[in-house]
Amino acid sequence: MSVADWFRVRGRSLQSISFSLHRLTGLVLFIYLLMHLSYLTSLKLGKEVYESLIATTVSPAFLPFDILLLLATIFHGVNGIRVVLNEFGIGYEARKAMLYAAYLITAILWIIASVAMYNFVVGVR
Amino acid sequence: MDELEGMHTRRVLEPAAWILQMVSGLLLAALIAIHLYVTHFSTHDALAYENVVERFRDAGFKAIYTLLLLAVTFHAFNGVRAIVLDTDFGAKNRRAVNWLLMLLFVAAFAYGILLMSSV
Amino acid sequence: MKVIFNIRRFDGEKDYWQSFAVPVFRGMTLLEGLFYIKENLDGSLAFRASCRMGVCGSCAVKVNGKPVLACETQISSVNSSKLDIEPIDNFRVIKDLVTDFEGFFRKHEAVKPYLIRNDDNYENPVELIQTPKQMKSYYTFSLCIKCGACYSVCPAAATRSDYLGPAAITAAWRFIADSRDEGKEERYEAVCGDNGVWRCHFAAECSEVCPKKVEPAKAVQKMRIRTALHAIKKVIL
Repeated sequence: MSVADWFRVRGRSLQSISFSLHRLTGLVLFIYLLMHLSYLTSLKLGKEVYESLIATTVSPAFLPFDILLLLATIFHGVNGIRVVLNEFGIGYEARKAMLYAAYLITAILWIIASVAMYNFVVGVR
Repeated sequence: MDELEGMHTRRVLEPAAWILQMVSGLLLAALIAIHLYVTHFSTHDALAYENVVERFRDAGFKAIYTLLLLAVTFHAFNGVRAIVLDTDFGAKNRRAVNWLLMLLFVAAFAYGILLMSSV
Repeated sequence: MKVIFNIRRFDGEKDYWQSFAVPVFRGMTLLEGLFYIKENLDGSLAFRASCRMGVCGSCAVKVNGKPVLACETQISSVNSSKLDIEPIDNFRVIKDLVTDFEGFFRKHEAVKPYLIRNDDNYENPVELIQTPKQMKSYYTFSLCIKCGACYSVCPAAATRSDYLGPAAITAAWRFIADSRDEGKEERYEAVCGDNGVWRCHFAAECSEVCPKKVEPAKAVQKMRIRTALHAIKKVIL
């Protein structure tokens, strides 16, 4: 009886594992949201403070984190749409197909977005 | 069983929070896609100070950002509320958890609005 | 051929793993293996079983991480020469593989799993007529044998001990979907608390492990939509 039970893997189907990942990415995105809102305060502190923050965070050094964050966002979004449909009673019988489709769409969107993110950060300025 | 007693009370918070969680989730899928497109995938200087300030002053962007802020703060804090209520700790402190997280949602939303209108 | 039964035991104070080599014949069930151990290797092994034919719901155990009915699972079907056998999760262990179902049954009672009628008349009983179609709308959900497999894999039940759980909510839906029933209101009230339907987040593992294919995940979603609409209507009207 502990929160570790939310992340059990052994003997579980992909359904449960998706729930675990959804909860995990949800918490990651929650923390990121708090960071995001906090560092927007720099807009009020003036152009220099803001632009120095952007210069540090939008940089090749931060690119791996950005790409992981993209994965969390895309997974939570795509898997979330699947869960919303299922919770509203749509597609229960097709839930396995929807699950595989969610992973496929996540993978495709992640690759596209990662390339775009790479070009944005590393590409010509 | 003592813990089963509270369930006969009629509550609108849980059903409303559940429906809004689903609806805000669907909204966020669209709004965050727009947000990411605008800030990272459209032009290279989308994050320059002047451009950010300009977007904050544009009525259309302001409307979208307000909706995004409302949806994301609700979805995030209500999501954490649901996670905490999934535990026995949450069940014991239900009222405090509900109040605290709804208050934090309102505070985060108000902070965002103030920031947007003062820049 | 011998298969290793690696059993997680509990003697009231401590947990420990103990291995037994069980000679296996073709078609032998897990339950027969447990009886073999009890009769020939260690008489102190405790497990619960009754009907041996998947009807009573007594013998759910966890095998290699997945809950199954010991009586309906052939050892060969697990496809492993070493079986990790544990009591099912989310229940208090009493001894070895025997778990405490008291709370589980109280939750079942809480949703009033019986027909409620306004016109009960035991002097002149009348037949309650139902079309095959009306019966089909709840039939699957009435097949539950209360084995606890769904409850044992539910992530919400794992951390919130008063969550009604998939089985009880499915029982509520089984009667709500029944055309003869007139106790809908009481059941909506029973599952509307924050220990009710709102704790489900569609991990849907309950439907994966249900040995009777009752589809508890489907019932919980249906129950939740109806409960939400009911609660909101109640406030507006």
